[in-house]
Amino acid sequence: MEQANQIRPQAEVRYQEELEALAAVDGGNRKPLGWKLSPMAVRDFILGRKKPLEYQGRELTIKKKYLGNDALVERCIITLTGSRGLMLVGEPGTAKTLLSELLSAAISGVSTNTIQGTAGTTEDMIKYSWNYALLLAQGPCRQALVPSPLYVGMEQGILARFEEITRTPAEIQDSLISVMSDKVLNVPELGSEGLLFARPGFNVIGTANTRDKGVNEMSSALKRRFNFETVRPVGDVKLEKEIILREAAAMAQNAGVDMEPDLDAAELLAATFHELREGVSSMGHRIEKPNAVMSTAEAVSVYYQTMMGSYYYGGGKIEPRALVANLTGALGQEPGEDLEKIRGYFSTVVRDKAEEVGGPWKAYYQARSALK
Amino acid sequence: MEGVLSGQKRPEMIPFDLTAPCLYFPVRHHSPACALHLERTMEAYQPDCVLVEGPENANHLLPLLTAPEGRPPLAFYYALRDEKGLLGEKETFYKCYYPFLDCSPELAALRWAAQAEVEARFIDLPYGRILLASAKGRGLRRPGERRSYQDEGYFSDSEFLERLCEKTGLRSFDEFWEKFFEVNSLTMETPDFVAQMHTYCVLARENTPPQELEDDGCLAREAHMAQAIAAACETHKRVLVVTGGFHTWGLLHPAAVTPSAKTFPDGAEQVYPMVYSMEATDALNGYASGMPAPGFYHRVWTLLHGDAPEDAYGQAVLDLLASVGRKLRHKGEILSVADETCALDMARGLAWLRGKCQPGLYELRDGVLTAFVKGESTLATALPMETLRRLTTGDLVGKLPDSALIPPLAADFQNQCARLGLRLKSSQRQESILNIFSSPKHREISRFFYRTVFLDCPFAKLVKGPDLAKQKNRSLIRETWSWHWDGSVMAALVDQSISGGTIEEACTFYLERWMAQASLSGDGAELLVQGFLMGLDDLSGKLHCRLRELAASDGDFFSLSNACKHLNTLLEMGRLYRQEDSYDYAGLLDQCFGKVLSLLPSMAAIKDDQLDSCLSIVSLLYELTARPTFANRREVLLSALESLLSDPDLHPGLHGGALGLLYGADPNWRGEIEIACSGYLRGTRERMLQSAAFLRGLFSTARDLLLVSEQFLPSLDHLLSCLEEPDFLALLPELRLAFRYFTPMEASRIASRAAALHGTTAERLRRRPVAPGQYAYAEALDAWAAERL
Repeated sequence: MEQANQIRPQAEVRYQEELEALAAVDGGNRKPLGWKLSPMAVRDFILGRKKPLEYQGRELTIKKKYLGNDALVERCIITLTGSRGLMLVGEPGTAKTLLSELLSAAISGVSTNTIQGTAGTTEDMIKYSWNYALLLAQGPCRQALVPSPLYVGMEQGILARFEEITRTPAEIQDSLISVMSDKVLNVPELGSEGLLFARPGFNVIGTANTRDKGVNEMSSALKRRFNFETVRPVGDVKLEKEIILREAAAMAQNAGVDMEPDLDAAELLAATFHELREGVSSMGHRIEKPNAVMSTAEAVSVYYQTMMGSYYYGGGKIEPRALVANLTGALGQEPGEDLEKIRGYFSTVVRDKAEEVGGPWKAYYQARSALK
Repeated sequence: MEGVLSGQKRPEMIPFDLTAPCLYFPVRHHSPACALHLERTMEAYQPDCVLVEGPENANHLLPLLTAPEGRPPLAFYYALRDEKGLLGEKETFYKCYYPFLDCSPELAALRWAAQAEVEARFIDLPYGRILLASAKGRGLRRPGERRSYQDEGYFSDSEFLERLCEKTGLRSFDEFWEKFFEVNSLTMETPDFVAQMHTYCVLARENTPPQELEDDGCLAREAHMAQAIAAACETHKRVLVVTGGFHTWGLLHPAAVTPSAKTFPDGAEQVYPMVYSMEATDALNGYASGMPAPGFYHRVWTLLHGDAPEDAYGQAVLDLLASVGRKLRHKGEILSVADETCALDMARGLAWLRGKCQPGLYELRDGVLTAFVKGESTLATALPMETLRRLTTGDLVGKLPDSALIPPLAADFQNQCARLGLRLKSSQRQESILNIFSSPKHREISRFFYRTVFLDCPFAKLVKGPDLAKQKNRSLIRETWSWHWDGSVMAALVDQSISGGTIEEACTFYLERWMAQASLSGDGAELLVQGFLMGLDDLSGKLHCRLRELAASDGDFFSLSNACKHLNTLLEMGRLYRQEDSYDYAGLLDQCFGKVLSLLPSMAAIKDDQLDSCLSIVSLLYELTARPTFANRREVLLSALESLLSDPDLHPGLHGGALGLLYGADPNWRGEIEIACSGYLRGTRERMLQSAAFLRGLFSTARDLLLVSEQFLPSLDHLLSCLEEPDFLALLPELRLAFRYFTPMEASRIASRAAALHGTTAERLRRRPVAPGQYAYAEALDAWAAERL
């Protein structure tokens, strides 16, 4: 599919040039079998590189794509060089999926080999299923088999991603155990040709939410097949602001929206989300935490929504009132109770910041009546 | 920065010339790499004089550090009493520690000098003069309980260092240090390592404001050390100077500092050698300086002097991983060899990815976090990381050589611990459950623990058990103590060493001193309780005499009451604790009893918050008069209570309490009680609202009135029934409080009897009332059904 026709191109398409440039200079580095890039280059791709690369006669800067814990990324890369899978766990909106996508794109050159876990996921979807027309016509054969992303990963020696694994019932999750242990998948219907041995380069990256409703516990046996990495919310307001601006800009670019970034709005949102998540303001107020997940992804969504509103209906400038109104969109499960908490936040923290800091905080406070 | 550190752009500012008459070797405290390169330098340079950064008033103790029968961690403990107020602060007592580990470069220098029989000494200002040179709240005068002499603030906390960590992609200064100065320096030549150290330290110094250096006393110290170095250079040919790397530039370019004209009197400043622990040395515990995780680096240091020094870090990581695995399995965690292999692969892989030639502490932590923590990393899954933390901190405790002149008090402490089986070889917190009433040994341990608590020594803490001083949990028969040994215990003992040669002497000294300073009999009696718990006998009779004096001069009713309570406790518990010593508790109690009785009639108008203690003391006095020893005081007590009743300002609670006791002595007082009760309940509104307080006092001393007497409940019920509803509701909260003196079963019995008076039962009364709407609906339903039927 052409990039222009996609709402969000996949990582290997978005960063194709960077991946090619890194591969070009990666010759001397040790590379695990089946990997497109060396672990060094994978780290550079995700965490950025200080020195620009020479690529096709020009300088190319490898930007930092995952703004968070660098050591965690390094651990993820080393885990994937080994025999265990990688399980990214944490609250919703902490960029687990982004990290999983970037790792897959850099290591295997493809990030779309993905199983989406839901309550309705069955073992067929994880291993393989059949094209019944072909099955009836030709009997059990490879042509009639519909491979799952896991099957494809094993067959081609690439990473398979399993998103939201804990939404899948525990007994279905367990179908991964033998594949993860023996790196072999048996298709009994194919008889003597039914053994699929995983090629080097194959591994599984799982992601799992810990705070959402409707998640299942993982069995100890499956846990032993994975190394766990806990992805925590961004702990720094400045970094959160940077993420909001960068992600919203990327989304706007894809949507063909040309609008100047509003630094003040991003800062207000970053501070609001950070303080509500932590339960304490930068001035020391103790705040009641909302039940909704105040993730950075949610902050990006509020910013982008406000930006779109301003682009199409406003004068191309983010109004504090619109920003405040869209905040309510972040309150998912129990909006009534959470709304009161946000109102409380405005009538204490935002009020005091409006007095002491002034500027955008003043306008933010004046717009509090939009909280409905 | 990596370019600078690798020496490509290093400025040739501080020479490292092995032929020079004076050689400066920069160190970081407790750094194995610094110690290793220093050892190599000493072998190559063969100094005839070794000068080490450290307050020079400990020079006479240096041989103790290098004595073969001693074992680090050891520390010098510097203490100063500023009785004259030269430092101009309220605080008069200052102290700091100077710890040494096996891997401390300073100790390596002193050991080498001792072995080579070369002169070695400290060259820094004495502790007191460092304090004088520092501004208030700065340097070693910063507030804090456990100040370390080796403050590395400049070295590790600055914006420059923050930026450095950010640029190198490392999480902290310590991780940065380990990568560039520990692990990777093992393969470096010593001159390159020293040049890298100098470069780093000069950059750190450039980024520190000069005013800060002056306020912290840094410039004065450097000027003094420079003078000492110059003097040593005149008499020696090869002088090796071992100081914190940050100071080297200052030693070569000393500032002109005028020394303070003030001097502390002789004896104000003390320095002692003491055993220390790894736990206290760990920078992560927030009160030390130098490298974190001393247990890990100690292991590295040992391996560096073993058969395969080139793989010391890798081996230490493997050892620690195996130890964590073993400990976790021992605690019932499911952890396979595959997990350990995975963690080791992770550590090695990360080291390779991060450009380290061997994995270090941070790769070890990452390996454990990834491979041992199953599931989300939360408090519930923190056991592997906590186990690793303990192991990397280490629990080693030092040993001073026998020749060390430790204060007799500290020696006695160690002897007592050995005698009582309290092992001091580990700094882990331990718990002892003591059967104080059945085991003489346990009683002795309990007394020892109480003595250390009394000396304000952070050794033992009573977690559970009878608390005689606070009159709580007296029915418990076991004591649970939590105790742990570390350097701070020894420091506290050293602080107290002037008070006696043994723990017992020191406790007796303070007991007598505080008794002499006490002004109230209650405080004096509490001290007696503490003496009792510590098993101290009043051989000289001083305490006894003093308490008699206090009781005689005390005019405070509540202080005397407290004294009575404490003395009664001692009287009752003496036999149980098998401690019927020479105190004449009964005589003292009698004296206080008499004083309380004489003051009782004047206590009518007490405040509300004094009621409970007043009621408890009159009850106690009444109980005492039931004993033969005090039976002769019964009449006096009753007449005091009667005279109390005649006071028009009598507190209603005390009124009830006094009437209750009089009723206990003579049931004919019931009539008087009913009159008083009726008086309150039928009185003006204000008096009526006091009736609950009256009942509270009454029930506290005469519960049986309601339970046994057939007549009192109906008459009380009648009086309450006469109240208007708003008044009753206003009274209700206080009434509930009054009935708390009854057990649930008694309250239930009373409720049943009260309900019977109204022709119902308690169960029926407890039923929830039906809502009017619900009732109307049921009636309609009833009518509808009747119609259909």
